[in-house]
Amino acid sequence: MAGLQGVVKKAITLPCTVRPLSSGVPSAPFLNLAARAPAGHDDHHGHSAHGPRADVPPKWIGGVQKSSSHLLSKTYITPSTIAYRGSRTIHTSTPAKYETPKVPDFSDYKAQSESTNRALSYMMIGTMGVLSASVAKSTITEFLGTLAASADVLALAKVELELAAIPEGKNVVIKWRGKPVFIRHRTQDEIQEARAVDWKKLRDPQPDEDRVKKPEWLVMLGVCTHLGCVPIGEAGDFGGWFCPCHGSHYDISGRARKGPAPLNLEVPPHDFNDAEGKIVIG
Amino acid sequence: MSFSTTFYNAIVKRNSVYVSTIFAGAFAFGVGFDLGISKFWDTWNRGKQWKDIRDRYIQKDDAEE
Repeated sequence: MAGLQGVVKKAITLPCTVRPLSSGVPSAPFLNLAARAPAGHDDHHGHSAHGPRADVPPKWIGGVQKSSSHLLSKTYITPSTIAYRGSRTIHTSTPAKYETPKVPDFSDYKAQSESTNRALSYMMIGTMGVLSASVAKSTITEFLGTLAASADVLALAKVELELAAIPEGKNVVIKWRGKPVFIRHRTQDEIQEARAVDWKKLRDPQPDEDRVKKPEWLVMLGVCTHLGCVPIGEAGDFGGWFCPCHGSHYDISGRARKGPAPLNLEVPPHDFNDAEGKIVIG
Repeated sequence: MSFSTTFYNAIVKRNSVYVSTIFAGAFAFGVGFDLGISKFWDTWNRGKQWKDIRDRYIQKDDAEE
């Protein structure tokens, strides 16, 4: 910029940022106190002063100095309050152009007393609670239902057997859930014998009445309680079952009587379908 | 005393009673809803379910035997 002939100094108006000095005087650096309103800016509002500001503070309180790089504002003492010589009117609100809207009268809609709509409100809340509780309950129920075995699995887990096909005094062995199940059609003598035993002195005390649902039908899992062999029917010292593996003897009610077996033969859940003459195991 | 006041005083006033009533109501609602839906289902599918047509086939079986 060698051709720069002169330096033009131009006063600009910066947004004034005011901070209080330690003396309490507001400091407004970069404030052009001699700024005029731009020409042609008519006084529409009737509050802007013409010409230089009349409220220029006196020099003795300090003032603004221009240096080559910045403006410097100094305040030496606490000045007295500056009185505005010219009248300065300030309005902060625009004149109302419309009539102030009136607040409608809502008194007709107000509840007449505290109890007017109270019961209805609580009724609605209660109904909401009832519905939510029902929804929550069925959600949980349905979710737990998904953990249950499905109908086809349950159907496979059951075995049906025609009871009329088993003559009195005979054993039948069927397979149920991979295990043999003994079904014996007991004679009256055998029932008498099973019930005559003093069951309280047995190894695994259990009365015959607890082991059968109908006295003539004895249903048991055919797995020796000792080590899981399959006992042989109509054998052993007690006229019941005999396990050939280690010599456990079971009586006609399937109770362990002799040998290493610690427990009676297990009775699976079973039910009788009297209408169709069938037994359902499982 | 109107019904609403009776209702308020009897049920709502104590929160324990209110909540218990809500749960009891939920239980009753669940049972009633199930019954109602089942009844509607049976009505809607009248004559199509096994329990409706069972008589025909069971009687036939009896006759054959």
